[in-house]
Amino acid sequence: MAAPADPQSAPTYRLKKVVPVPYTRNLPDIVRRNVGHWVDRKFHGSGIVEHISDTGDHLFTVKAGGTPNVRFSTETLRVFAQIAEDHGVGALRFTRAGSIEILSGSLDQALAAKKAIEKIGFYVGGWGSSLWSVGSCTSYLTCTTAVVDAPSLTQAIYNQLVPYFTGEIPLPSKLRINVTGCPTACGGLVADIVLVGHYGAAPSFDPDRIRLCLPSSAKVLAQVVPEVQMVCPVNAIESFARPDGSVGIKILEQKCIGCGRCKDVCDHITWDPDKIGVSVLVGGKSSNTGVGPTLAQVLVPWIPARPPRYRESVAVVRKLIDVWRAGAKPGERVADYVNRIGMPAVFDLLKVPVSRWNRPTRLGTGFGVRQFASP
Amino acid sequence: MAESIREKAAEDPLTRKGLEMLAEVEKGPWPSHVSELKKGKYPIEAYAKGLGQGLPPWFSGSAKIRCEFTGFIARRTKDGKQTELHFRVYHPSGQFYRTENLRKLLDFADTFGLGSVETVGQTGDLIVPIQPELADRAVDELRSLGTDIGGTGDTIRDSAACVGPALCEFALFDSLAARDYFFEYPDFYDKLSTQLFPFKIKLKFSACPMDCARAVHRADFAFVGYWKGAPEVDQDALRAKIAAGETSWKDLAAGCPGKAIRWDPTKQKLIIEGAKCRKSMNCIRAAFPAIRPGPDRKIAFMVGGHSKGRWGPKMAKPVALLDDYRHAGPFMTRMIEYWSDRSPHKDRLGDLVLTEGLPKMVGRFKDALPGPSTGKAAGGPRIVTSSVLSEEERGAFAAWADAIAREYEERI
Repeated sequence: MAAPADPQSAPTYRLKKVVPVPYTRNLPDIVRRNVGHWVDRKFHGSGIVEHISDTGDHLFTVKAGGTPNVRFSTETLRVFAQIAEDHGVGALRFTRAGSIEILSGSLDQALAAKKAIEKIGFYVGGWGSSLWSVGSCTSYLTCTTAVVDAPSLTQAIYNQLVPYFTGEIPLPSKLRINVTGCPTACGGLVADIVLVGHYGAAPSFDPDRIRLCLPSSAKVLAQVVPEVQMVCPVNAIESFARPDGSVGIKILEQKCIGCGRCKDVCDHITWDPDKIGVSVLVGGKSSNTGVGPTLAQVLVPWIPARPPRYRESVAVVRKLIDVWRAGAKPGERVADYVNRIGMPAVFDLLKVPVSRWNRPTRLGTGFGVRQFASP
Repeated sequence: MAESIREKAAEDPLTRKGLEMLAEVEKGPWPSHVSELKKGKYPIEAYAKGLGQGLPPWFSGSAKIRCEFTGFIARRTKDGKQTELHFRVYHPSGQFYRTENLRKLLDFADTFGLGSVETVGQTGDLIVPIQPELADRAVDELRSLGTDIGGTGDTIRDSAACVGPALCEFALFDSLAARDYFFEYPDFYDKLSTQLFPFKIKLKFSACPMDCARAVHRADFAFVGYWKGAPEVDQDALRAKIAAGETSWKDLAAGCPGKAIRWDPTKQKLIIEGAKCRKSMNCIRAAFPAIRPGPDRKIAFMVGGHSKGRWGPKMAKPVALLDDYRHAGPFMTRMIEYWSDRSPHKDRLGDLVLTEGLPKMVGRFKDALPGPSTGKAAGGPRIVTSSVLSEEERGAFAAWADAIAREYEERI
């Protein structure tokens, strides 16, 4: 859509979005002619999948793991594009989990693509019984509400788990880890292990600037509930008027659950950096296999998150993986394992101190499509 | 100018501390986001300052883009000297790119941006950091490439689909076409640009119950491929697979969470009871294509999932089994209207479903559905991801984590 000749004229043409449809326009020919025709697949190691079509076509996808928060320079993506042209059908795909899949026409091409990817320092893997990805929110790269920096924590985790991604050390089944910088948990709770950054205490606020999030005067306050107070799910924020007509808030620590919704609507909520940490949740997944989709549950409500090595957080993740590897049956996701032995047994195995924030409750089950299929 | 601001920022002690941390992080072996960002012009000093101080460096900022109200996010540092503006750009469904198209987008990111992108954000968009002074022109440029800036704030956000029939043999409906359809669905299309609602709205489409789009948790409206009854078994093909040692009826029976599978030894047949089948896909994955989803294909339509809402993270609740995803449009429109009239700002649709109750909520709009509402909502414990701890409690958990960290240090 062309801009009007006079850019100062009301650019109402802008209100109409250009949407990238139909999707078939962006498909390489081999995919376009096989949409809906795929009948089987074969794994070649943990990073190459052969897709077999009833038209007789074979397509190979080579999966490269992404950087934390999938930040790529255009320079690196051009190299990937080149690999897709030199060793593939001239197309690639970004997965929702942040990997890059090169589409190749033959196994030889796919193996060559793998080699080229490894040459630029990326790893190929992440399918089948391996670490699929460590999802990370953007945190300090752009977010205003992030408590812990998820990308650097993700990097510290990835640095220690490479053999699980490449398939060098096999896992009982698929493993997905989500790292998220604030209690909102942008990445969601449907991963086997979820680390969630939070304040470790009730948040505080910048006493000078908090007024920017409040009504201008006591008179206005009498008529409205400030948003920063309204969004609190546990009524832990109280607003009040001072005799001089100004307005203030109080955060009630006894009621606060640290969810961060106040921070979400007000930039001037803040916290003590010495108390921040991550909670560790286990057993989430979205797939209907095994026990079905379920949300991860809190195993440990807080452990320190200290950049750049994140010593404790990374060690706890490794420990969880080791416990799961030792106890799980083949094909058992963390949720299935936890469900079979019971959450109290998991707490015992790890000797986790129990508090009111981490009681060993069972995982919720029967979600997703199972809600239509229960007897 | 920009360079001198960055040099000056790097003199700040917290920034220096952060830069040292980033240098440590960057060592790998896993490829680092820091190295990638450094290849472009991303304000890495601001990021480093955040890490150094344990607080994000950014505050809400603003950008001058005519007649655009969603699709970009502007940030500034506390002192206002550094900014971060990025576009959320719609990917085509399935995120496939012919390399010539990808290169055009990369040229765009170089010319108008900072030479780096986030390939897939949490919503599913391509995130492109943009130079603020070029942002207005960049919108037109992006549109000439056949895409646009996506949703931010309280609007209909970008939707997402699994790879579906484009690459996957398990696809029960065309999840990619479904995403395309609702992009252009008039009632939704008109609202893509405008913040009208209490909070965001997301749609996700997964073509089979394995739910690669994570629709059951990450979307206000979830569409998941489904079939009624038992999977279809090609007994000859299955016997061949069993004879070849690829699978066994014992494994298939043991892997079935609904205990729906048994073996008839006299007829040498696998029997699956439809009433007990929970669509876990276990047998189908083990013996495809000898065992495949049943012929009575449906789309499980669910509402109210999300990770970010007033009452915490939730799973989607069942509305109906649809023959066609198109049938959900009128229902969604009415439900969104109802929610918009009632819910306070920052309450998700799922929060209202929770407080009103699913049957009551769905009952209001059941005439907008082509068939009966079915399914029985599952319940689970409420999850609070955060905690408010005393000094003592934090000490106990820190000691616990420290013991584990020591255990792993000894192993290295």
